[in-house]
Amino acid sequence: MAVCVAVIAKENYPLYIRSVPTQNELKFHYTVHTSLDVVEEKVSAVGKALADQRELYLGLLYPTEDYKVYGYVTNSKVKFVIVVDSSNTSLRDNEIRSMFRKLHNSFTDVMCNPFYNPGDAIQSRAFDSVVSGMMVQAC
Amino acid sequence: MAQRTQSVQEFIQDAFVPMVAVLCSDDAEKVTRKNSLSFPELLRPFCRLTSEGHLRDPNNQLVLVKNLRISVTGVNLRPPHPAALRANLAHVVAQSQPPDTGSANVITAGEYDLNISATTPWFEAYRENFLQSMPASEHEFLNHYLACMLVVSSSEAVPMEEFLKLSQEQHKIQHSGEYAHPRWFIPNTLKYYVLLHDLSQGDQQRAESVYEDMKQRYGSQACYLLKINSRQGGAAADEQIPDPWSQYLNRSSTFTQDVYDGGVSADLNSMGNDINSDMDATDSTKDTVSNNLADHPLQLDQAAEPTFPGDAGEPAGNAEVERLQKGGASTLNTLHGAWLTLNDHDRIRQFVQEFTFRGLLPHIEKNIRQLNDQLLSRKGLSRSLFSATKKWFGGGKVPEKSINELKNTAGLLYPPEAPELQIRKMADLCFLVQHYELAYSCYHTAKKDFLSDQAMMYAAGSLEMAAVSAFLQTAAPRPYPAHYMDTAIQTYRDVCRNMLLAERCALLSSEVLKSQAKYSEAATLLIKMTSEDSDLRSALLLEQAAHCFINMRNPMVRKFAFHMILSGHRYSKAGQRQHALRCYCQALQVYRGKGWSLAEDHINFTIGRQSFTLRQPGSAAAAFRHILVNDSQQSPVQQAAFLREYLYVYKSSGESGSESVLPQLPLPYLNSARMRVFFGHERRPAEGEKQAATHVTLDQECDADLSRLWVRLEEQVVALVNRGVVPTSFQPTQACLSHTTDNLRFPLAVVEEPITVELSLRNPLKVPLLLTHMSLLWKFTAKDFSQSQSPVAGESVSNEKEALDPKVVPKNDIIATEVIPQFFMSPEETKVARLKLLPHQTGELRVLGVVYNLGTADMTNGSAEGLQAADLWVRGRQDVELQGARLNQTKEDKTSVKYGPDHRLDPIITPPMPLLEVFFLRFPTALLCSELRKAWVEFVNVSAVPLSGLRVVSTHPNFFTLGGSGSAHTPLSPSSSEHCSAYKTVAAPPSTVAKVTRVSEAEFRADVAGVMEVPLPGGVLGPGEALQLPMWLRGPDSEGVHEIHFLFYYEHAQKNGKLSHRVLRHTAVICASRSLCVRATACCSNTVHVSPTRRQTSRPDEQSGSMLLFVDVENINTNEAGVREFHIVQVSSSSRIWRLHTCINPTGDKDSKLANRERGKLCFRVSRSRSQDDADEKLVFADLNLGNEQIVSSSTPCADFFFRRGPAPVQAKLGVTLGQEVAPVGGADSSLGIIRKCSEIELDIIVLWKAYMVEDNKQLILEGQLHVALQRIGKEACSFTQREENQEMVLLKFKPEPPPPLARPSLEQLSHLIKTCLQYPETYQHQFLQKSICMVPVTLMLSNCSMAQVDVIIDLRHKSTSPDSLEVSGVFVWLGQTQYKLQLAAQEVRRVCLRACFTRPGVYNLGVLRVFAKLAQASSLCETSQQNALPSLIIINSA
Repeated sequence: MAVCVAVIAKENYPLYIRSVPTQNELKFHYTVHTSLDVVEEKVSAVGKALADQRELYLGLLYPTEDYKVYGYVTNSKVKFVIVVDSSNTSLRDNEIRSMFRKLHNSFTDVMCNPFYNPGDAIQSRAFDSVVSGMMVQAC
Repeated sequence: MAQRTQSVQEFIQDAFVPMVAVLCSDDAEKVTRKNSLSFPELLRPFCRLTSEGHLRDPNNQLVLVKNLRISVTGVNLRPPHPAALRANLAHVVAQSQPPDTGSANVITAGEYDLNISATTPWFEAYRENFLQSMPASEHEFLNHYLACMLVVSSSEAVPMEEFLKLSQEQHKIQHSGEYAHPRWFIPNTLKYYVLLHDLSQGDQQRAESVYEDMKQRYGSQACYLLKINSRQGGAAADEQIPDPWSQYLNRSSTFTQDVYDGGVSADLNSMGNDINSDMDATDSTKDTVSNNLADHPLQLDQAAEPTFPGDAGEPAGNAEVERLQKGGASTLNTLHGAWLTLNDHDRIRQFVQEFTFRGLLPHIEKNIRQLNDQLLSRKGLSRSLFSATKKWFGGGKVPEKSINELKNTAGLLYPPEAPELQIRKMADLCFLVQHYELAYSCYHTAKKDFLSDQAMMYAAGSLEMAAVSAFLQTAAPRPYPAHYMDTAIQTYRDVCRNMLLAERCALLSSEVLKSQAKYSEAATLLIKMTSEDSDLRSALLLEQAAHCFINMRNPMVRKFAFHMILSGHRYSKAGQRQHALRCYCQALQVYRGKGWSLAEDHINFTIGRQSFTLRQPGSAAAAFRHILVNDSQQSPVQQAAFLREYLYVYKSSGESGSESVLPQLPLPYLNSARMRVFFGHERRPAEGEKQAATHVTLDQECDADLSRLWVRLEEQVVALVNRGVVPTSFQPTQACLSHTTDNLRFPLAVVEEPITVELSLRNPLKVPLLLTHMSLLWKFTAKDFSQSQSPVAGESVSNEKEALDPKVVPKNDIIATEVIPQFFMSPEETKVARLKLLPHQTGELRVLGVVYNLGTADMTNGSAEGLQAADLWVRGRQDVELQGARLNQTKEDKTSVKYGPDHRLDPIITPPMPLLEVFFLRFPTALLCSELRKAWVEFVNVSAVPLSGLRVVSTHPNFFTLGGSGSAHTPLSPSSSEHCSAYKTVAAPPSTVAKVTRVSEAEFRADVAGVMEVPLPGGVLGPGEALQLPMWLRGPDSEGVHEIHFLFYYEHAQKNGKLSHRVLRHTAVICASRSLCVRATACCSNTVHVSPTRRQTSRPDEQSGSMLLFVDVENINTNEAGVREFHIVQVSSSSRIWRLHTCINPTGDKDSKLANRERGKLCFRVSRSRSQDDADEKLVFADLNLGNEQIVSSSTPCADFFFRRGPAPVQAKLGVTLGQEVAPVGGADSSLGIIRKCSEIELDIIVLWKAYMVEDNKQLILEGQLHVALQRIGKEACSFTQREENQEMVLLKFKPEPPPPLARPSLEQLSHLIKTCLQYPETYQHQFLQKSICMVPVTLMLSNCSMAQVDVIIDLRHKSTSPDSLEVSGVFVWLGQTQYKLQLAAQEVRRVCLRACFTRPGVYNLGVLRVFAKLAQASSLCETSQQNALPSLIIINSA
């Protein structure tokens, strides 16, 4: 399913980034980092029209040769990026959407942890397992 | 971003220029060779036309040709081999580097400030070169030769023959088919006959005549006489002639050299020349003749250029400009055009102009007409032509064919005369002469034709050009058909597999898109063009794409960075290291410090590698340093690789660089704030029984509270030494400095005593580190403090030089520097290293930093011991920068952030000082509460200087004593006195009567304010001398672990120097366990057995009564195993007034034993030893021993501890009352005092005990003493100091408290004024039968306890109101006076005789009478009922 899941703070530094171990991690870091430009572009485009009721899900950010990059922005401007293999055609927009929703829920749980210091890298085991679930699942 | 000197239009225009071939005779070649130029080269600087040309299109409309450039090349020029082309391009790109300084502009995008070079000259150079070297292709005619110049020298024997020969040769080349290469536009190429005349040698007349002949034969339009070489010899150095060729040929010559070296075939030479000379055609515009840029900064120069005929202005300025230009070209090794004057330049220019306007343009015009006619004649045949013409006139649109219809065939080849190609030819011609409207429609037509024929290559070419000409149209602007370009690129790439053409297309299109601010499309286009086949191209295009991203309206910074990295990667693959490095550096700006550590590390690593290969070890090291310094997320393997690479880079940079400066190493982290400095020797380990004073060590944690405590103790001593005042210059001794201590002042260190610096080092990596040959760096300025007031500063010495090489053994004559040979750090370990310095001279020292060899440690070897010094290491240093605490004193400090100095590492080395060592012998670690133990203390002066003024102060002065000053001890050795009691004892049988001693307190109060002076023989402890003294310890009263701090203070025998005194600290930890608890109560005895008549003669101790003392002793020891039982061996009292008198215990139990949890009660009589107003301050000690030994409680250990029992609140209170007594004042206060006095006693009880304890099968006898202070009659006092209740939170009160009500004596206190005692016979026989009334005489003794007159009322009236009185069996009556009013003087005892009357036998309670008392002078007080005596029973028997 997903080959890389990343959570990026409002200030655009990574809070959490995990990719399938078989692949070159650095590549995904670059991919995710580059996708932030597109996220910003999309957010600024949407933000003007409907500031409050905007859709958190940004849809496909851009495709590369091997991967598709999807984005999601929470209300607090925390960005989620999921990279999926382009060869995986079974994935529909709806599934991606639900993945993001799950991720968001789990992220909210992390934030609710009183011992979590906002801005730190996420080291929650629960969050980890949710992400692992997304990476293994399906395919 | 490619900010260019050219507009896009110009750029495209220059990409496609009319081509002219040159065919030169040998003689003509010779003429030009004089100037070290070939003929095409000679013309090159003048190939751009400055004036406008005209021509008419087929519709007879005038077309303006502006700023036209023609390309003149030798006819035998071969298109370059692809490999050579690539090499050339690579060379061009490598040559063009960004300027080192300036010209970078800062782009602010969001939170990023990027420093990006504004121009990309390497890309422009590449593009120019690329476009110029495009090989002529089948499907287009743009770079086919339009004309041919035939050049013949006038010096030829028969020039006309030569012309003929050349003309034939040209014909052969074009039509014979032998030559594949030069492609010709039109079959009948324009031939232009040039007669080259060398003015320096030829005969001008002859040349003129030949020229006339030429005109006759070829027509005046096609001939030209060019006269050059008017200057003689070309050696006139004084004449300043501009060299316009230099910029065209300069680089080419060097390049040719390179190419030769590279072993490329020789014919590349000319090609290279050509490429490079054309490459900077752009620049020629500004330097020579261009006037199209009206606002160009070099405008003035151009105006002054003498090339304009008729413009004769400013020759002086002209020369100036020329010189400048010359200066710019002065780097040339060969001088071009040495034979040419400015006039010659003009002539050449004129020639080119003449050729273009008279020859070329009319030729083109003619051809366009011809082609047009041809096409029109086929009008009926060609459907497409219909639409074409319709389009010309009607402007209707034809629906496009979609790309999908294109078939995947490269298409057919047309014969040269095919009508489709004719259209294309015409379009190209129109394009070349800038008639873009016509060109567009022709291209459009051709495109449709080609498409319908499935001639894909042709179609793509037409599409490309259609798009370009659509863009260039000025008259009727039409939207730029980007999709044409896309189709063209796709076709070129996928169908025709011609990357060169595709690339050209992409370059053109991206440029157009950029000019229209369609950056996103441009970027996409460029990125699409990247492929595996050419790294250089991919790199350049990716870089341009990156620039596109950053130039977007919403700059896409990250995409920029990412593509920069991709580009850098490709550059490095293409071998363009410099460019790769630049790309990575620019990308790093985006990634740096944003938390993308993996990416950042990667970039830094690449930068490091590239820099290193480019021989920039400095920046390489910096980049590697970044990887290591930042908290790395990399795997250990990766980190090890990084570290090794870093060390290698450093090592090689160190080898190449100068050896005088050591590099600053980033590893391991040196936490300079956590640095600690320790002055003095290491603590000596305990030797046998001897236990050294703990003093201060680096192992101790710094505790602010503790250090405050020490400072307080020190202040205490210093104040005492300085007669109660702490001197202003007092500076607490700090043996260990850390970030928590006050480091504002320079610390003082003593010469010949080591200084230890503790460094806190952290290894941030997951790989181990090995530091070797580690030592401190210092700087030292010698000063002799003993000589004069202002010490002369000597030379500064430093060991920095010595430290450069680890093999050099440091010279230790000034300061001995300790070297740690190996220091191993495990992965991610924090470790401290202690480095020592030993100063041998006085002066000022400054610790600069630490120097060591940093190396990798191999973990595979196993343990750290087995490690050998790794082969890869670098020597480097880390300097220490200390920042003091933030200042917060003044307002200025508070408002601004200011930091104080930190002089931790700058000690001043002072002259020698005495050094004391203290050892404790048989010092216990565990004691029972109140246990007494004898230990020994040894003072040793280990320095070479005598020591004096030894004092000791402690936080627990009641814990120990060194004995009173009065008792001169002959110190027994500790071993001899092992089994003796610590007390001074006298053998005596147990007695019931106490032995009394009188002692003055002053004898034992040797210490003032807790400071005790240690008696030194002669007051001085000489160098090396030792002194052993006994020391008694008494267990603390409360159980638990007690930390007892001792501070030993001593001075130099002669006061001098900077250091006034020194101190030694010791902390003893005593674990106290519970032993006994003693509670004592004093009771008033009611017996008044003193008759007033005997008053004068009576002994004072029997004078006024006695008390009963009950002592409750409880064994509360919980340690079942250890102590078996406690014996109370003696009870002593100490008081000014009272003394123990007798023991009124049952005598059977001699030694009162108490096993665990047992409790015993002792009862004593206490008598008054003297009256209260006795001025004698001496205390009376009375010992009542219960065993066989009497412990002299008034002698050293016992009395010492008694006096040290701590602050006695009782005494203080008594003092107050005593003071009042001396000066009695009227009123409530004094009366209160008097009243209180009655019930107060001042009596201290000392309970001495022995305990038998089994430890290691050995019976030990422990001794101890407990103190109980009795303050009041009837109030229980306890040996325990009751645990103080936790301080309640005090409520803040905002209202002033009401003044305390006038102290009134409480009822209870008042009830103690008078002591009453009834005296009567206990049994009385009476014969009731005889006499029914029995009268018994009763004496009531009244004793005034107070020191004042008391009014007493005795009320005998019986009141049986209380319910319990009902139980009394009988009732009796007092006879006689039933109420008395008396006045008792102070301490007076008065008898009152009463008579009681009984009516029947029985038991009666006589104590029903009530006594009221009040102070005589205090009239306001009402009488108070006095303490009811115990029931006084009388038995009346009937006889």
